[in-house]
Parts: sequence; structure tokens; C-alpha cells
Amino acid sequence: MKSIPKLIRRFLMIMLLSSILFLVLNIGFLLSFTLQHTPNGRPWSTAQEAADSMEETEGIYAVSEEMEQKLQDSGIWAVYIDNRTGQALWHTDYLPEEIPLEYTFSQVSSLTRGYLSGYPTFTGEGENGLMILGYPKDSFWKHMYASWDMQMIKSMPRTVLIVLAGNIILVFIIYVGANSGLLRSVKPIAEGIQKLPTGEAVNLKETGILSELAADINQTSEMLQTQKYLLLKKDAARANWIAGVSHDIRTPLSMVMGYADQLSGSENLGKEERTKAGVIVRQSRRIKNLINDLNLASKLEYNMQPLSVKEENAVALVRQVAVDFINTDIEGRYPIEWETPEELTFCAIRADRDLLKRAVSNLIQNSMNHNEEGCTIWISVVREGKNCEISVEDNGHGATDEELRKLSPAPRYMVCDNSVEEQRHGLGLQIVKQIAKSHGGRTVIGHGTHGGFGVKMILPCAK
Amino acid sequence: MSADYIKDKKILLVDDEPELREMVVSILKEDGFRNVETAGSVREAVETAEKMNPELAVLDVMLPDGDGFELMKKLKKKGDYPILFLTARGEDEDKFHGFGLGADDYVVKPFLPRELLFRINAILRRCYKEEEPLVKLKACEIDLARAEVIKDGEHIPLTAKEYELISALYRNAGRIVTIDALCEAAWGDNPYGYENSLMAHIRRIREKIEENPSRPVSLVTVKGLGYRLNTE
Repeated sequence: MKSIPKLIRRFLMIMLLSSILFLVLNIGFLLSFTLQHTPNGRPWSTAQEAADSMEETEGIYAVSEEMEQKLQDSGIWAVYIDNRTGQALWHTDYLPEEIPLEYTFSQVSSLTRGYLSGYPTFTGEGENGLMILGYPKDSFWKHMYASWDMQMIKSMPRTVLIVLAGNIILVFIIYVGANSGLLRSVKPIAEGIQKLPTGEAVNLKETGILSELAADINQTSEMLQTQKYLLLKKDAARANWIAGVSHDIRTPLSMVMGYADQLSGSENLGKEERTKAGVIVRQSRRIKNLINDLNLASKLEYNMQPLSVKEENAVALVRQVAVDFINTDIEGRYPIEWETPEELTFCAIRADRDLLKRAVSNLIQNSMNHNEEGCTIWISVVREGKNCEISVEDNGHGATDEELRKLSPAPRYMVCDNSVEEQRHGLGLQIVKQIAKSHGGRTVIGHGTHGGFGVKMILPCAK
Repeated sequence: MSADYIKDKKILLVDDEPELREMVVSILKEDGFRNVETAGSVREAVETAEKMNPELAVLDVMLPDGDGFELMKKLKKKGDYPILFLTARGEDEDKFHGFGLGADDYVVKPFLPRELLFRINAILRRCYKEEEPLVKLKACEIDLARAEVIKDGEHIPLTAKEYELISALYRNAGRIVTIDALCEAAWGDNPYGYENSLMAHIRRIREKIEENPSRPVSLVTVKGLGYRLNTE
């Protein structure tokens, strides 16, 4: 959102600077144009130069040859009149007929300000006379009554500054007005577009110049909302379907498990039959675990598992899970070693107690399931910076790098639309990953430091 | 597995699946329970309960004419006895609902017979306590009713904390009890930070119950995890 006003401001600034640039360029162009005409544009100084070059030799007046040549080349006629009598003391060879050779004061005053018989005239003061230059008709326009109030001229710098400041303020007001006007209409549109990817419903007012765009965004949002609703509905239906199926399987499976368990311990049966009943019990337990896992995994996947998060002591929680396993491992095939540093008795995390216990149980059970001949399991809780690391490792078969590579990013068949051949291993690890993720943490699967398999859950500590 | 007096307790089993009822009854009978009655619906359960006055009810949640939670309320009105839910509804909300209404335990189907028996026996032991037993250890006996240790004819009294700890350990005799669970038993709901006090109390208990407290055999440490009470 921050980029839009910036963009508009930049755009307006470019417009503003362009205007100033145009102005400067125009002034420059005007100046250069004016300067180009300067040679013809200094008749007063030419007249003065002509007057200055006037020389008198034994009562005969003449200008220098160069000056005469210059005047002739420019088609200028000249008359030099006596200060006292007003009579011409000298004139150029070429002099229009209508130009008099004697001048009154009023004529001198008039020709100085303006024209003589339509010729624009300019005067220069000589030693004892006045030089009058007559330029070709229509070569100059003269303002005959030019005069300015002295006060005005004196206050000109101030006036120019005020006008300039006024202009700048005006330009700034236009800029701010245009800026806020544009922002006002663009802001809701930009906000709407930004809301779209978050999945939030967007309802913009469809007015103003951008009403069509607002309508399009509203329509897109409505479409996304409908899709989201349908998707949620579909996910809920899928999770409910899994929950329903697992519910219906539970009661018949209870009977399979119950009777098989009784038979496996029955003294009336032969050893072989009891062994077979034992296999049924074990396989029924696998189905039971699978049902539970599938149900939980689907709920976690579709965000339908309510989390009851509280501050928990990770050390106590993991220790209880470890002890529960030790207490049930009557045969002692899976000894558990507690590797948590003695000084760490409390490590607060915000967690759903049951889910986290489930995750740790899954990891321990995973080690047991993959090492039927038994193995030692090492469990530890360590505080690393702002994280709490829960590790479960074993010294069993472990996994090859290739197997680990497949395990780590493997999409589960629940969410995978490709072949499911490679994903048909238990849901145990998937649930651990989902639980870690739902607690804002992550899971690292790898080789344990004790030669077998190792999984580390990294969860953020409570603040 | 458990004391004989428990096996005389009257159990009412309610489930709409006749085959499951039959199986659970056979499991209970095999374990020695002698008084088990069954019902397949809420109505039938209420009638049977009135006749038999059960001392434990095992209820399914989904019944043809109502749900187990409602049935539990009805049964609780007539008599205050423990209730265990045995159901295919394994959602946490269902469990919480059941426990919230005052259920004593909640077992989700499918279950192993041994698990069900453990839980039923545990509930019955908890709810119908015999007189506090005499705990026999290698070097002494502990009279929990009197809160004292009897060692070489000498009666050594237990402090309140020592009694709480010994009781918690005895309830789980032969099993590891975590440091945290022991702290909770002795110091209540906020047990963190009492690890050193716990160690001090354990040392004093050993001085009272062990022949050689520095080489304990009855109250053993499981490093980093907790303690285990080995009874004779």
C-alpha cells in the first residue's frame, strides 16, 4: 500500500519538475532569440557612436568613412543638426526627400521619442550638435510614451519575489490537491487489491472515476470468497467423512481386538493358535493407531483440530511421556535414556498439552515400530536461544540419506494428488510435523547421534 | 491383579451392540468380576440400575434412545457411583464433555481388554478404598493409615509432605513417578522450582525407610526422570 501514494507523488513531482523545466527552456529560448537580434537592436548606441565619430574640419562636418559605410550598409540615413540653430550641419548622401534640413524643438522632441515621416529615428548627442539616425520604415517599433512610476520600479524586486512565492504556493496547492484527490480515489482500490490475497472479503464503494475497477475487485473478492467457502466445505466434508468412517470402524474393531486378545492368552488353545490370535491383536492395534492417526492428521491438515494452548513446562511434559513408556515397557526391550541437562528443570512453551504429548509419543513409538528387535531411545529437552528443542533418537536401523530425503518433504497421500506409492508409510511423523507446525515450530528429521534415527522438534519458547 | 473386594462390586454395562456387551462381560468375568448386568438402551439402563444399584457404570455414548451423557445425568440422580465411558466417539470435545459432566474415565474404542480392566480396577480402587494398607518394603513397613514407618519395631512418624510423597509413590508402586508429578503431589498445582526440596524430602524418607539410605533399594532414583517405590 505504501508504494501507491509514493508512485502518485513521484508522478506529480515529475509533472511539476517538467513544468519548471519547460518554463526555464522557454525563457532560455526567448533570451537566445532576443540576443540573435541584438546587432539591429542597439540603434541608440549606434546613434551615439555616429555622433561621437563626427568631426569638424574648417567648418566642414563629416563622420568617419567606416561609420558612413556602416550606415549605408544598414540603409540608415543620418542628419547632424546644430544645437543652436537646428540646421543640418551634415547628412548622409542618401536622405529621403521628406526629411527636413532644419528642425524645431518640437520636431526634435517628437523624433527623439518616435518617428520622423514614418522612419524610426534615434539620436546621439554630439559635441555641438545632435545626430539623428533614421532607420528604414517598419524596421523598429517604438513605444512613444514609455514611463513608469518610480515607486513601482523601486518595489519591483519585492513584487517579483511576491509573485514568485505566490506562484510557488499556488503550484504547491495544486500539487497537494491533485495528490490527495488521486490518493482518495486510489487508496481504497489499492487496499482492496491488497486484501484479496489474504482471503478477507472486500466490499468497495463503486463510485467515482475508478468505480469500474472497484466493481471488478468486488466481483473478484466475491468469487474468491465463494471458492474459499466451497473449499472449506469440501475440507470439512473430507475430515468429517474420515471421522465418520473411523467412528464406524471402532466398535467392530473392539470385538476383533478384544476376542483376539482373549484367545491369545487362552490356555485351551494350542501355541500356534495363540500366536495367530496374537498377530490379530497386533494388527488390530495397527489399524486402531492408523484410524487415530488418520483422524488427527486430517483434522490438523484441514485446520479442524481445536488447539487448547496454555503455558506448559516442556521438560515435565516430555518427561511424563518418557516415564509412561518406561512404565509400560515391561520386557525392557526399549530402554529410554533421559539426556536433558540436569540444570534444565523448566522450559516454558505455549502448547496444547495433549497434542504435544501425542507428538512425543509418536516419535518414541516410531522408534519402537521400526526396531522390532529392540533399541535404546534417547530423549532430551534443550533450550537453544529462543527455542525449545525436543529430541528423540535411537540406535536402531536408522534411515539412509535417500530415505531421509524422501521423508523430509514428502507430501502425504491425504494432500497429494500424485501417485501415492511412495507415501505409504505411517502417519506418525506427518502428525509430528503438523503438530510442530501448529505450534509455530518445525521438525528436523535426520540421523541420530547414537547411530539410528533422530527427530528434533523445534518449538518457540513462551515469552 | 487386584484386591478381591473389588471383584464383588456391581457393574452395569450399557451398549447397544449385543456382541460387544457379550465380549466385555466375558472379559470382566474372566478377570473375576461376579456382578455384571447389561443394558442396550437408556430406558433399559435406567430400569436395570434401579434394580441392581450398580457401583460402577460403563456407558456407551451413542444409544438408540438417547445419548450416554444424558443417561449419566439420570443415573447420577439415583446414586453417586463412578461412571466410565466406553465409546467410539474419540474426539477431545466428547471426552471433555464427558469429564465435564463428572465421568471418572473415558475409554475410546477399539480398546484392549487389559486396558479396560486396568481402568475399571483403578476406578474401583480409588472410589471404594479399603483401609489404608500396610506397605511392605525391604527394610520396613509403612502404615499409611497412621502415617508412620515401622522399622525394627520402632515407629517413626512421617511428616505431611513425606506422607504425600510416599502415597503418590505407593499408588504407582513399581512404576516411575516423575519429579514433576511428585512435586505436584506435595506442593500442588504450581510445582515448579521445588526440585531441590523434593530431593531433600526423598533423602529424609530414605533415612526412615532404607537400611542403607546411601544405597537405596526401596525408593530408587531413575536419573533425570523420577523415583520408583519397590514394594515386597
